[in-house]
Amino acid sequence: MHDTVDLEDRGIPSVFVSTIEFVDGADAQAKALGTVPSAVYVEHPIQDRTDDEMRVIADKAVDEVVARIVG
Amino acid sequence: MTTVLLDPSSEAVPAERIRAARLAELDGKTIGLLDIVKARGDVFLDQLEERLVERGAKVKRYAKPTFTKPAPIDLRHEIATECDAVVEALAD
Amino acid sequence: MPPTPSDSTAKPPLPAGVVAFVKRDCPTCELVAPVLAALSKDVPLTVYTQDDPSFPDGVERVDDTDLAVSWHHEIEAVPTLLRVEDGREVERAIGWHRGEWEALTRATGLGPGLPELRPGCGSLSVDPSRAPELAIRFSGSKLQARRVEIAALEDEQEAFLDRGWTDGLPIVPPTEARVLRMLEGTSRAPDEVVAIVPPDLAPCTVEKVAINAVMAGCKPEYLPVVLAAVEAACTEQFNIHGLLATTMSAGPVLVVNGPIRNRIGMNAGKNVFGQGNRANSTIGRALQLVIRNVGGGRPGEVDRATLGNPGKVGFCFPEDEEGSPWTPLNVEFGFEAGTDTVMLFPGEGPRTIVDQIARDPDSLCHMFADALKHMLTPKMVLAFDAIVVVGPEHSRIFREAGWSREDFLAKLHALTLMNGDDLVRGAGGIADGLPDGVRGKQIPKFKPDGLRVVHAGGGAGLFSAIIPGWANGEMGSAPVCKEITS
Repeated sequence: MHDTVDLEDRGIPSVFVSTIEFVDGADAQAKALGTVPSAVYVEHPIQDRTDDEMRVIADKAVDEVVARIVG
Repeated sequence: MTTVLLDPSSEAVPAERIRAARLAELDGKTIGLLDIVKARGDVFLDQLEERLVERGAKVKRYAKPTFTKPAPIDLRHEIATECDAVVEALAD
Repeated sequence: MPPTPSDSTAKPPLPAGVVAFVKRDCPTCELVAPVLAALSKDVPLTVYTQDDPSFPDGVERVDDTDLAVSWHHEIEAVPTLLRVEDGREVERAIGWHRGEWEALTRATGLGPGLPELRPGCGSLSVDPSRAPELAIRFSGSKLQARRVEIAALEDEQEAFLDRGWTDGLPIVPPTEARVLRMLEGTSRAPDEVVAIVPPDLAPCTVEKVAINAVMAGCKPEYLPVVLAAVEAACTEQFNIHGLLATTMSAGPVLVVNGPIRNRIGMNAGKNVFGQGNRANSTIGRALQLVIRNVGGGRPGEVDRATLGNPGKVGFCFPEDEEGSPWTPLNVEFGFEAGTDTVMLFPGEGPRTIVDQIARDPDSLCHMFADALKHMLTPKMVLAFDAIVVVGPEHSRIFREAGWSREDFLAKLHALTLMNGDDLVRGAGGIADGLPDGVRGKQIPKFKPDGLRVVHAGGGAGLFSAIIPGWANGEMGSAPVCKEITS
């Protein structure tokens, strides 16, 4: 999340994608950095997914990702 | 532990860190995809790239040397100069 | 029963009769413990204990371990004895002193076997290690500014830089403790409005000035100077808005007069315009931070200066009154010599006048006049003022010749009469200039009160300086001199 916060400071709208497992961590990190988290969460786990399954997960996330950077 | 400081301003605007303005649209914009290089992230980003290109965006791909630290400053600078927006993925 | 810690700024009332403040960890308090026990049989006595609520024996005790009562009643030493009538303290005795205690309590024969007197120990409520925490608890809520929480992973400097609250240099983070300490530098109330600050026309309280003064690096004793400077800057006469919005290079220049210069350790000697002295460097900076943060005046926004000048970080210096052959600058503004004042002048960076040969005042004035005639542009008259800073090696020449300040100024004005023919467009090969209508005329470079004289600088070096001004007149700015009050 440090990277996206730094990029926002440089004027680049950014979004961070992680699995839902990460939600508390992302929230805490964002708060600690003094900002509002801009994250999109996908289902967990992902380590053991097939390529096709990963593509479906990506397709499901696209709209939300775009909504975070276009507004 | 937080430090509490006093606001030196006229308090006409909110005190939070100001975020960058969002893009007006996706079409024609360059979106940077920053891979944190954890497993399966590349497949995720490949698919995201396809979808973004379908929607009219241009895509540039980047990768961090390690997910354990913030991206090196040169990389952040490169991304900031080449891209209009950034998606960083995929943390688990 | 221990009281709940109070964070109240309200002074707790005292019970009527005799009130004592003690702590167990004090040999004198131990010594007088039996005296207090004996007294409690004869007079209404309440004892506040600062450390151990079970001390001393045999009296009506109140637990003041949170120090609320001691702090609000300004107890500096223990034991302290107060006489309270009608809710008010009417007498106070500090330490053990038989005569004082007997007078206060109207009792006799106190402490037989004790020495006549014995000093006490420091009260915990004034212990330096606890002072900041106590100040925040008991007067912190006097601070009305919005609190900004800096999160754990945020850097305080980056946080303030990101919010646009600095001038690009690091600031001293304005914690509540620092701001409270800064406010001790003035007797004015923190919520008193000092000025309405352009360009946003935001009301600026003493507290807001204090916050920015902390950030600038000021000490509390500098605060009265900063307050007077903010007031002066925000007058219609000084027109800080115009000065801020100009494309020209000037910014506020502060010149301090009066005994305060020495009290707060300002530097009027070597490198007077330069770095290295905390008061010189931070007072001007505090004003600029107020204008930026409270007034909303920032470069690239309302501040449109093309080039600016390094003094816009802050430019403040004292006059060397002690070495001057003349009355101080503030006398020109109607103040009595020896009054603490700050003059605000709309000015650029100084430019040096070098004259290493002149031994007589007349020829030295010619050198000054030449520099003044070329100030900003040789083709403009009357529109700009200037400060002439005379260095000690040059002022010696005027002193030895017996020239007064009036003599000096009269000569400078006479020597800066310009020939209209030299001012017109094209004259001297310079395209810029005035229309032909000025041909054949003699026009003064400066209006009659357009030159201000200040004495400053180190003792070695035959140098003086000009501080060129900005536009005077209706749309411009005029110098303003304000008294500094504590």
